[in-house]
Amino acid sequence: MSARPDVVPVDVPWRRETASLGMWIFLATEVMFFGVLFLAYTHARLADPQGFAAASRLTHEWLGTINTAILLTSSLTMALAVRSGWAGHRALVIRLLWATAFLGAAFIAVKLVEYRLEWRDGLVPALHFTYSGPHARAVQAFFFLYFVMTGVHAVHLTIGVALVAWLALRDRDPSHPVRRRETAECLGLYWHFVDGIWIFLYPLIYLVELWR
Amino acid sequence: MSAAAIPVPTAPRESFLTEGYTIASWLTTRDHKRIAILYAIAITLFFFLGGAAAALIRIELVTPRGDLVTADTYNKLFTIHGVVMVWFFLIPSIPATLGNFLVPLMIGSREVAFPRLNLLSWYIYVLGGIFTVAMLVAGGVDTGWTFYTPFSTMFSNTHVVWAAAGVFIVGFSSILTGLNFIVTVHRMRAPGMTWFRLPLFVWALYATSLILVLATPVLAMTLTLIVIERVLHIGIFDPALGGDPLLFQHLFWFYSHPAVYIMVLPAMGVVSEMITCFARKRIFGYRFMAYAILGIAAFGFLVWGHHMFVSGQSVYAGMVFSMLSMMVAVPSAIKVFNWTATLYKGSIVFTAPMLYALGFVGLFTIGGMTGIYLATLAADVHLTDTYFVIAHFHSIMVGGSVMAYLGGIHYWWPKITGRRYSEAWGRVAAIVIFFGFNLTFFPQYLLGYLGMPRRYHEYAPDLQVLNVLSSGGASILAVGYLLPLLYLGWSLFKGPPAGPNPWNAKGLEWTTDSPPPKENFREPPLVTEPPYAYDPEHPER
Amino acid sequence: MNSPPPVRVYILTWLALMALLAATFTLAHFRLGAANTAVGLAIAAAKVALVGLFFMHLRRASALIAIFAVATLFWLAILFGLSGTDYATRRIAPAPWSAPEGH
Repeated sequence: MSARPDVVPVDVPWRRETASLGMWIFLATEVMFFGVLFLAYTHARLADPQGFAAASRLTHEWLGTINTAILLTSSLTMALAVRSGWAGHRALVIRLLWATAFLGAAFIAVKLVEYRLEWRDGLVPALHFTYSGPHARAVQAFFFLYFVMTGVHAVHLTIGVALVAWLALRDRDPSHPVRRRETAECLGLYWHFVDGIWIFLYPLIYLVELWR
Repeated sequence: MSAAAIPVPTAPRESFLTEGYTIASWLTTRDHKRIAILYAIAITLFFFLGGAAAALIRIELVTPRGDLVTADTYNKLFTIHGVVMVWFFLIPSIPATLGNFLVPLMIGSREVAFPRLNLLSWYIYVLGGIFTVAMLVAGGVDTGWTFYTPFSTMFSNTHVVWAAAGVFIVGFSSILTGLNFIVTVHRMRAPGMTWFRLPLFVWALYATSLILVLATPVLAMTLTLIVIERVLHIGIFDPALGGDPLLFQHLFWFYSHPAVYIMVLPAMGVVSEMITCFARKRIFGYRFMAYAILGIAAFGFLVWGHHMFVSGQSVYAGMVFSMLSMMVAVPSAIKVFNWTATLYKGSIVFTAPMLYALGFVGLFTIGGMTGIYLATLAADVHLTDTYFVIAHFHSIMVGGSVMAYLGGIHYWWPKITGRRYSEAWGRVAAIVIFFGFNLTFFPQYLLGYLGMPRRYHEYAPDLQVLNVLSSGGASILAVGYLLPLLYLGWSLFKGPPAGPNPWNAKGLEWTTDSPPPKENFREPPLVTEPPYAYDPEHPER
Repeated sequence: MNSPPPVRVYILTWLALMALLAATFTLAHFRLGAANTAVGLAIAAAKVALVGLFFMHLRRASALIAIFAVATLFWLAILFGLSGTDYATRRIAPAPWSAPEGH
């Protein structure tokens, strides 16, 4: 597996596996990057669990749940896009990429709606925070983390949407068959990673003491 | 080195240096060798910038009173010294220069796995550098390179955001370098180049790359959080919000302790190459050396709390970190013992690179041993935040890493440039540096033990003698660092051609021309020998 | 590695993910004490495992990539675990004038 062919462009499986390894390592850096925020969340929540629960009740769990469903479905379309590229169904790849981009954009739209609601409710720390009920300090800490974590996630997702759209445009002309798979596959890995971050964010933000 | 009838080497007509002479050909290159040189130029500039800050610090400390600069300016000086030396010199030094140049050559490959990412990493480095210099010109930052909260987030009046941005940016440069090396070593080794035939330099850079990739992102996010907190006046390090300023320290040191291994592991790799060559002997315990490298990289992630013994962290956590810190010394010690065993009964030649290697082993050992003092929880209460700590880490970073870097530059200079430098001047510089280093930093161990705190621009008058000695040493060190600029620079124009293997060393990089052709090897190499196949019975071979 | 997985693998994975989403949302409506968080995180972990194994092809990936994936999680655990030795054993003595509200 390590024997490198003499002229690189010819050996496509070698290129694909190499690119894939590179992307997995990049994802490792992203896990450590987001991990800091999860640690901060853990620390803040353990310092005031009831406060965090109160704060979580102020989030819009229906929007969050719908968004999770949207993002999971976008992972499906992305994975199917990569699979279709593998199987050689070029037209299907393009359609599935656009579906993925659309779902990603839909997620961001819902997120922006949510942010607007939070602004309306005065829950934006430092910029517009008017909550004065019990646990105000913990609520502020919670929403600080909420905006930073979902914000950084949204930035990653936006970049993903842009890249998926770029790929859909680039490959609509079938003249680079060799490179297609590894780009799509690497982009797919990135997309699923962004989905994975959200999968963990969802219960931590929306589901704390939802039974209230 | 061999004596008898060797033909006088001539310079090759074509090499990677002759493939295009325009600046554009350099700035758009995908050749790892050219990128290495681009990095070398950039980090040398930053080395002298950080050195200038150090010079001002040492001049101020000649007298006990703060009479050269104000306290605020002094704070900015040691901050910029730390920021520049750590992030813009030491961390990229060996990996981005020697590593970029040599890793593909040493594994028998034509290029790195992602050549364009490699060039991008240089541009990102330059961008981070521009941010940092701009920040400096705008007035600097005074938080210390450690950016501790709440000073950095709430109380400092200096350009913390700029500084954090500059470091954030340059962090991505090192992440890309690390990513590239990992994939290159896994995927691009020549036929026959199995893992246990790799030179230890490659093992060292591989392990360094693992650290780069796993630790640097934590720093990136942590810096982001202090920027947010500083700009919005709200954040998770703020106790008023229920946050914890110590969380910053946990996150910062989770990166910054492994960072010191980023700085020393490549140096250890260089030293292994030089010692084997100039003792004409296979490295003693090759596999243990490789495992020790991995062990240092892995263990280095478990000890960060030893920077926080007196910070307010729980004493039980302190005990855990103290124990783990003792354990991390073991693989380092294994390496020192194995280098010594390699030297034993070797046919030692005291070339300039060898002098640097020997200097490394001695000074790294001292630095390492003083680290044990600091890892001892109770002793650290007395020694922390004193000059003892400063002497400890400079022993490793300057007495260790910088000497190894210079040694490596001298060792591979003929390969990179195709020229030989003046060996006499090389030895002079190495000895001046060794002497200057000891005069600078040995008094600082004593100063620290006597209680002189770090990061203060004034001190008790009875400590002046030691400070004067240290500053005197620093000026000698400065001379030592300037000398190579002169004779190495001179050799570029007047040095005799080196030929492929002036040191008669083992290793794939020595089988190709000096300087190498653009594609590294005229034919892809096939590896059949174990590494360091020196014959102690016939050291001239 | 020569033929792609059948489409139904992806569809089934997606159905499982949706089922887990429904489950986590529903279970959160019941007061289970500490189990609420544990279950929520466990279901999240299961979802990420499904995404990783089937969408990211970890099931078919080389040992090298699998090692990198696992090692990364291990390294994150180091960050949480060792800083946890501090947070778990620290004794906090809040000063009277800065007592947190709501306590």
